[in-house]
Order: sequence, then C-alpha cells, then structure tokens
Amino acid sequence: MRERLEELLNEARAEIEETGLKDALVGVKSKYLGRKGLLQGFFKELGALAVDERKRAGEFINTVKQSLETEIDSRLSAIHAEEQAERLKTEKLDVTLPGRARSLGSIHPVTRTLYEVQDIFASLGFGIAEGPEVEIDYYNFEALNIPRDHPARDMQDTFYINEEVLLRTHTSPVQIRVMEEHPPPLRIIAPGTVYRRDSDVTHTPMFHQVEGFMVDTNVTFSNLKGVLTHFLHSLFGDSIEVRFRPSFFPFTEPSAEVDIRCVICKGKSSTCRVCKGSGWLEVLGAGMIHPEVFKSVKYDPEKVSGFAFGLGIERIAMLKYGIDDIRLFFENDIRFLSQY
Amino acid sequence: MLFSYNWLKEFVDGLDEVHSLSDRLTITGTEIETVTDLSGGISGVVTAEVATIEPHPNADKLSLCDVNTADGTLKIVCGAKNMKPGDKVVLAVHGARLPGDFKIKRSKIRGVESNGMMCSEVELGIAKESDGIMILPSDTPIGLDALDVLGLQDFILDAGITPNRPDLLSMRGLAREVAAVTDATFTYTAGTVEETGPSVDGLVQVSIEEGAPCTRYSARVIEGVAVGPTPDYIVRRLETNGLRSVNNIVDITNYVLLELGQPLHAFDLDKIGGAKIVVRNARGGETIETIDNVERTLPESVCVIADESTPVAVAGIMGGKASEVSDSTTRVLLESAYFIPTSVRRASKALGLSSDSSYRFERGVDIDAVTEALDRAAALILEIAGGTVAKGRVDLYPEKYVAEPLLFRVPRAEALLGIPIDPDEMASVLKRLGMGVAKKKEFEATGIEVTPPSYRRDILIEEDLLEEAARLFGYDNIPTTLPVAGLVPGGVSPLLGIKRQITEVLSGAGMAEALNYSFVSKDEFNVTGTEGAPALEIMNPLSAEQSVMRRSLMPSLLETLRRNLQVKNEEAAFFEVAPVFTLKATDAGEEGDSTDSLPTQRWKVAGVLYGPRWSMAWNYPKEWVDFYDIKGIVERVLEGVGVRSPMRLSSVGEADARLFHPGKSAAITLGSALAGSLGEIHPEIQSRYDLPKPAYIFELDIEAMAAVSSSKKKYRPLARYPGSVRDVAFIVKSEVPYSDILTSIEKIDTKLIEKVDLFDVYCGSEIPEGSRSIALRVKYRSIDGTLKQAEVDAVHSKVQSELSTRFGAEIRGDGS
Repeated sequence: MRERLEELLNEARAEIEETGLKDALVGVKSKYLGRKGLLQGFFKELGALAVDERKRAGEFINTVKQSLETEIDSRLSAIHAEEQAERLKTEKLDVTLPGRARSLGSIHPVTRTLYEVQDIFASLGFGIAEGPEVEIDYYNFEALNIPRDHPARDMQDTFYINEEVLLRTHTSPVQIRVMEEHPPPLRIIAPGTVYRRDSDVTHTPMFHQVEGFMVDTNVTFSNLKGVLTHFLHSLFGDSIEVRFRPSFFPFTEPSAEVDIRCVICKGKSSTCRVCKGSGWLEVLGAGMIHPEVFKSVKYDPEKVSGFAFGLGIERIAMLKYGIDDIRLFFENDIRFLSQY
Repeated sequence: MLFSYNWLKEFVDGLDEVHSLSDRLTITGTEIETVTDLSGGISGVVTAEVATIEPHPNADKLSLCDVNTADGTLKIVCGAKNMKPGDKVVLAVHGARLPGDFKIKRSKIRGVESNGMMCSEVELGIAKESDGIMILPSDTPIGLDALDVLGLQDFILDAGITPNRPDLLSMRGLAREVAAVTDATFTYTAGTVEETGPSVDGLVQVSIEEGAPCTRYSARVIEGVAVGPTPDYIVRRLETNGLRSVNNIVDITNYVLLELGQPLHAFDLDKIGGAKIVVRNARGGETIETIDNVERTLPESVCVIADESTPVAVAGIMGGKASEVSDSTTRVLLESAYFIPTSVRRASKALGLSSDSSYRFERGVDIDAVTEALDRAAALILEIAGGTVAKGRVDLYPEKYVAEPLLFRVPRAEALLGIPIDPDEMASVLKRLGMGVAKKKEFEATGIEVTPPSYRRDILIEEDLLEEAARLFGYDNIPTTLPVAGLVPGGVSPLLGIKRQITEVLSGAGMAEALNYSFVSKDEFNVTGTEGAPALEIMNPLSAEQSVMRRSLMPSLLETLRRNLQVKNEEAAFFEVAPVFTLKATDAGEEGDSTDSLPTQRWKVAGVLYGPRWSMAWNYPKEWVDFYDIKGIVERVLEGVGVRSPMRLSSVGEADARLFHPGKSAAITLGSALAGSLGEIHPEIQSRYDLPKPAYIFELDIEAMAAVSSSKKKYRPLARYPGSVRDVAFIVKSEVPYSDILTSIEKIDTKLIEKVDLFDVYCGSEIPEGSRSIALRVKYRSIDGTLKQAEVDAVHSKVQSELSTRFGAEIRGDGS
C-alpha cells in the first residue's frame, strides 16, 4: 500500500508539474483529493488492515493527502500570480489623461476675506451683528456725531432714497443699533455691504466693510492698539509692521488710521505703485468711541469707554491676493472668480 | 492742500529736511500723501550769458557760441536760433543732469568741442513745447543755480487735511503745526499797513442785517490802484495750488487765502451802488451773475453781500460779475469776514457752487485773524498795485469770540490712553499747541484748565485734548496691550450661519459665487416682480443703470451670465447671496425718520446654470443642463442647511411669470411659506439676455429656509437584518405628478418600505400618447427581523394595487 501510495504521489506530482492551467489543476485536485478521488480509495482499504497497521497506514495516507493539498494550492497560487501578472501587464491606462473631477466652484474673494476677518475676531470673543443696508439718516450719521451741514459728510458721499433714508455709507450704524438694544459690556463686529457715491479706478459705488467695537468699563487706547495689532498679525503674518497715526473720524476721539508695511515693496521702493512710495498701506480706521456717540445710546461716557474700528474688505482682499483693480470684484468674470 | 516747502520756510526757523518733516507730520496726524521734488532730478544747471554767436565751421544748422559763466567763458555748440548776444540763458555744464536721467558731457559735435548745453523749457521739463532755448529776464545775474531762479529748487507736500483741522488750510497754519510737532520755531508776525488816505467811514457804509449768518465783517478801501500783472513768485505759488492768475488785486486776495487761510474778496468800489454794503439773506427771486459767468437765482436761505439795492456777492462763496475788479478799477473795497460755517455749507449745497473760499468758511476760519488778513492784503496791494489805503478799517464784530475753557483731568486721560501722564509735561505740550493753560487749585496737580486758541474750534471736549496729548506724545509710544475682559455671550446669528453654509454648499456643487451691485436699471428691475409695484429708487444715482434697488437676485445673475458669454466664458454656473429690498405698502411717498420707514430687506440666495452639464472633457458625455440640474441644486441647498420640511412645488406666481417658462418652472413652498422659485427661463428672457440656450435659475428666501431648518442631527438606528428589493414598472397618465405617486406609496407601510428609488421614466413608442412609463425600485426592510418572502409579497402587491386603483396605472411587470 505504501508503495502504491508513493507511486500515486509521484504521478500526482508529475501532473501538477505539467498542468499550467488553473482549471486543469482544479481537475487534478478533485481527481486525487475529491470525495470520490483516488486517495479516498485508500481510506476505504484501511478497514481491512490490522489495528496497529491501520493506524500507521492511516497516518501515511493523511501525510500524502496533506502534502498533495499543499503542493496543489501552492501551484494554484503560483498560476494565479502568473495569470494576474500577465493580465496586469495588459491592463494599462494613460494616467496622464485628466481626471473625472467635477469643476470646483468658488467662494468670492470678498466673501473669503470676510470669513477670515470674522473668524479672527470670533477667536477674540467678538460676536457678529448685522443691520439694514438701507438706513435712516439718524443711524448712519447723526447718532455717530455727524450732524447735518457738517463737512465731515463730505468724507462719505451718499446715495439717498429720500431726505431721511439712505444707503448706509458704513456699517457703523450697526454699532448704534446694538448699543441701543444691549447694555455694556459689548464686543461686536458688524460685517456688511456699504455704498458710496463714487466710481472710478479705485472706487466702486458698493463695497464691503467690517466695523467692530468693544465697550466696557476700562477699555483703553492701548487695548485698541493691542486688538488691532493682533488682528493684523493674524491676517498678514506676525512679522508685518503696524503703525498707528492720528486721524479724524467724527465718531471717535482720539482717532487713528492704521497702516501696515507695504506688502509689495516692504517700504523699500520710492517708486512702488501700491504704496506710492510711502512704504505704508492704510488698512484700518479706528479710535476711542466719541462721548457724543455714547450719549446718543444713553451710555454714560464717564462710566464706560470703548474703541471702534472699521476696515474695507476689498482693500484687504486686494492686498492679500495681489489684485490690482477693485472693479474686478464686481465684474464676476468666471476667469477671475474661479481663481478663489 | 499742496504746500511749498520753500514757502513754509518763510514762516519757521529750523525746518526739518523735507522727508523727515513729511514723516513727522504724518505720524502726528497731518497725513502727507506725497512729496514731489520740483527739480525733477535736475542738477548742474546755471545762469549764463551768451557772449558771441558764430556759425559752426562744419554744420549749417548749428552755431558755436561763447557763453559767459561765473567760471569763465565756455564754447557751446547750439542748434537753436532764438538767442542773441547778451541774452541770459540756462546752461547745463559738463556733468549736469536733466530730467529723464539725461547726462550732459563735454563732447565733440561735428569736430568742434562743446562744453555743455543751453536748455529749452522742454529740456528742463517745465513746458510741453518751447521755441528754441529758454531766455531769462535780462537782469538775471550769471552764475546762479538755475533751479533757484526758476523756483524749481523746491518740494511740494500734498497734505490730506481732515475736516476738523481747517486751521491747517494755509501756510501759516501748517507752519504753526510744524512748530508744535518739531523743533522748528514759528516766526511769522503780523505786519502793518500804511494808511494815508481819507477815513474809510466816509467812503463806504457797512451793516449786517439781523439774522444774517455773519458774525464779523471787516473791510478796507484802497484808492488809486493800478490793476495789472502779478509778480512771478505770486503767480507760481497760486498755480501750484491750481489757482489761475487773474490780475494783481484778485491774485493778492488768493495769495493771502493760501498764506493765512482767510478768504478775502475785492470789489470795485465804484460798482457798489450807494457805496453801501449790506450783509443780509437773499430776498425772494433775487439773482446774481457770479464771476464764473453763471446767472444764479438765490434761495432766501442764502446769505449775500448786497449794495444799496442788489446782491454783489454770494457771502463766503463767490463774488458777483458786476462788481469784480477789472482793468479799469481804481478804487478797491477789500472784504474780510467770518460767515457761520453751516450757513455757508447749506448755501453752497443749495447753489451747487463751491470754491476755495466756501471750502474754508464751511470748515471755519479763525475769527480773530480776520483783520490780520485784511491788513496783509491791503499792504500787498499797496506794494504791488500802488494807491493809498484809507484810514482805519470797517470792523463789525458785535460779539467777540471767547473760547470755553476745558478741564483736562490727568487720571481720566491715563485711564483712557492706558499710559501714565505727567501733568507738567502735559501742560507744556498743550502750550506748544497754542492753548492757554492754567492749573486749577481744586484739582491740584491732576486738573488742568485749557483754553484753545481761536483757530482751534475743533477742540470742544476733554477727549479732543486727549487726542492732542496722544498725538504729540506719539501713538507709537502708547503700549500695545490686549484687553482683559469678561466673556460676553455672543456668537453668530443663525442667519449668518445659514448664509455661510449655503455658500459652502453651492461652491461645493461647482458654482462660482458672484457679487453684483444692489442697484439695477429700471428695465432689469422689471424682469421679475409684481408689475406696477413701486420701485425703491435712489434719488441721486450715478447712472440710470444703477438707479433702483433690486427686488430679486435672478436678473443680476442672468446679466452676469450674459457678460461671461460675451467674453466666451462658456461654462457658467453662478450663485449669489445678498439681500433684496421692497418698499413697504405704506412707504409710497411717505417720509419718516424711524426704522419703521425703512424698506423690507430679505436675504436671498439665487443661482443660475447654463450650458454643458460637465466641463468639456474626454471622459464625460456632452450633455446640457436642464430643469432637473437646477432642481438638484435646490435640493442640495435645502438638505445642506438642514431644512426638515419637504419642498412643495406649485405653478409660479404672477411675480415670476415673466421670468420663467410656464411649464418648466415652479414656486417653492417650505412649511407654509412661499420660499422661492426655480425653473427654465422664459424664451423672451432668454433672448433679452442674449442666451443661445435656455438658462436654469432659482432663488430661495434664506429667512424662510431658516424658519424650517434645524442643525440638529438625530441618530436613526441602522437596520441589522437583510432587506428585499422589488421593482415595479407601470404606465400612467403623464399629468399624474410623480410626487403624488411617491407619497402614496411611502404611506402604504411606513415601517416596511425603507426606500423608493425612481430608476426610469420613459415616454415614446410602445407607450400610449399622454402617458409615461415609470419604473420604481422599492426596498423593503424591517428593523425587527429578516422579512419573509410572503411578507414582502404582501406589501408589494399593496403597492401595485395602490398604483392601479389610485392612479389608474397599468402594471407592466417588475421593471426588468
């Protein structure tokens, strides 16, 4: 029996060796190892053997069975690997063809910049408020200490709906509306669209602003510098140089304009077109909230103090993205928009 | 205002170098926008005299000149013909530089050595054209720097003067500021005028009528003047500030305006009826022809200077033509006054007329310097135009201006600025600014009583002094500290959050965000909306194209699309998030001053799709967008912002009827509110916007979405048991809306029917006219256990019978 088994093993091995095809090998496997396979016949013979003989013979059949199984499986996987390698060789793509991506949409650079500004102030605990774009004169001017017949009105050429109603020229009216509704302390920014009657290479009649303010019992000019410096460092990088210089706004006193080092020439070119050789770019207007403004919202200027600031989003976006013509923002050319 | 650096030097000692002066002024609040070097890079040009002119030995068109300079005689080859021996010229010597980085070198011209170049106005950069070389006045000494002679050795500072600082609108004013913020000393002192004529009282009578907005009026008379040309230095200084030379008298008034900041006016006294001046408000129907040759009707609110019968000038704004100084004038009445700023501003607005005078009056001039300017101008007229000045001056100044003293509290200043302040240092800073300073005993060292000078009427409250202190102390010297503050609950309003979500969803869906102006043309306004509804119009629009506030974003997006197609941007999908405006019903013609009078502002999102569905690509089919693309976008937006209630569709209302194709559009209802519309645009609109193919568009009301949306996410358990899928195909009348079919199937068994997917809609051959074939895949699954075949069959047959009984559908089979 042992001899016959060894013979069978050799025959099987030869067949395995010869067979190069997966299906044939599966046939070989069932021929020897199947339920009606040749090895099964040897198991049937076991019954006729003596007990101790039967045990040894049984073990030997199992050994043969196992080694056949292993050899067939390993041959099978070798064939599989060969076949796969062969197939993979033929399956070749031009990977340089473009991908099947849906065209990406875009968020307008003004909106992007607005988000960025909002997020910086939100991280300092500023809330966000909005107000109407068509405003009454009182909120846009009078409550902000800009009386009628005051030359300061020339600083903001205004679109009027009628004598009393206008398109807001800044988002500062929101400051008044919020303070009327809520007692201090307050930390708010007011982003939004504003309108000025001005249209040329550097002005569009509609643009975007973020106005912000903080009112509490002990807010100082030093704090104003602190918050705005932090903001500008967050927006333009920690290394950007920031300068505060005195200016005039009717609704703040003392007032300041805030400049950053020219992002183009870094203050090193006397012929720089962006900063006109001054080395500085004005980016913010700010100041300590004027007592008259506090009085108009019935806050006591002896008890609270605060600062307010405003910035033009288009200007910031132009500096951040290197855009040289403000009108591009409103032309909505897809070649421009899709860059963002 | 433009300031000449050289002129400034006449008012101060120890003026800083121009660029450090400019920096110092900017950092202390007088923003110097530009500094222009008038010399334009010229150097090495001197005055010289032509001695002899001989023909060039080798060239017909050139001559060879001997030119006398301070350093001897030089041979110069010259191509010009307009000079003669003895002429004074501008010579660029060897090593000189001319504008455009043009270097002059000794060189041989046609074999003869030339040691420089005689310059023309063009070569010096001071004129656009010139006829030959520049010939200087014959009394010009030789050997001077020509830049000095031509007034080019100067810098012009362009200062942005803020409305609160009218005192800086003059050379004297800026000089005073320079002295306060630098180490320079203010040296200007008022001059005197020699009075040799008769008493002014006999020559002119002046009165101010009650109610006229004039609080000081002064005048002088100069007789026997010779009106004529003006000295060069005055003309040059006027031109620098854009003032045209008229004649010596008028030019002197303008010169003093620039020098001292006080507007003056010179009348021809012989043209003043009755030699009487009355300052009064205009009377109904009065007119005046102003010196700009415009006949103007004067509203009664406008203050005028009148003679015995008619206005001769619009007070503080512009003089009258009839009484202006002309070549034949010999007797001049010189006016210097103070008009109340708001009245000048109102008059200027009412007449649509402004001038250098009104600009200063409406900001406020120095009431105490009114006569000083008058005397200065009279003295200059005497010097330049001759004549005699009448004795004395008219000076009606009934109520002398007295500045209110202010209290400056050092501790309060420290608290607001966040820096320690030394009271003595503070007092000296304020003194530098011309303020009267007194220590108040009751405040000991911490209170300072400050009296601002008459030219600083912007200093009204303690905070104004604070700014003065801070700007002289230097904003840079105030430390930068973040505030210490309690937390204030705030955050973002739900509306803001939703707007941001929408923007992210739509950009993620491949659309580009556009920003359009809120104002549109009337035509565009009428593309949507109830016909005849009043528009929210702008009183003073920039153009008719931008004259009405929009009530829908959709027309703007169609315009955006049109403009993109015009420049061949063929792939276009845009959206916009912005408010629209509608008049309230009660608004029409009503004016109010409260928020109630404002129009309604609603935030909308709109989007437009056009052209190919996919970017043109090798691996996408060439397909065009259709209604279901825009609907898909709308569904995505609603899902993205968490709208829970289903969108219900109905025919578009009257307001949208002109915009949309009637059969391919719908109004959208969310909850119980009309929330928007979507669809294919009407063929008329398509051609209005020059679109070769139809565009698909939607608009949604963000507030309506917010009302039915929730950001809350609630977990639904996942089914753990396998489900079964059954398809059903049927033919049904086309007018049966799919949404009706879907809802009724879903209702059959809400527990076992997990999902219904529509996978085919077909009409065409084999399907009867007016009907369509629909194929659905229904997924059955239970949360409680594996469904038995029989259970699925039971529900599925209910689905089939619902389809046939309720909708008259003819079941075709299992959809395969």
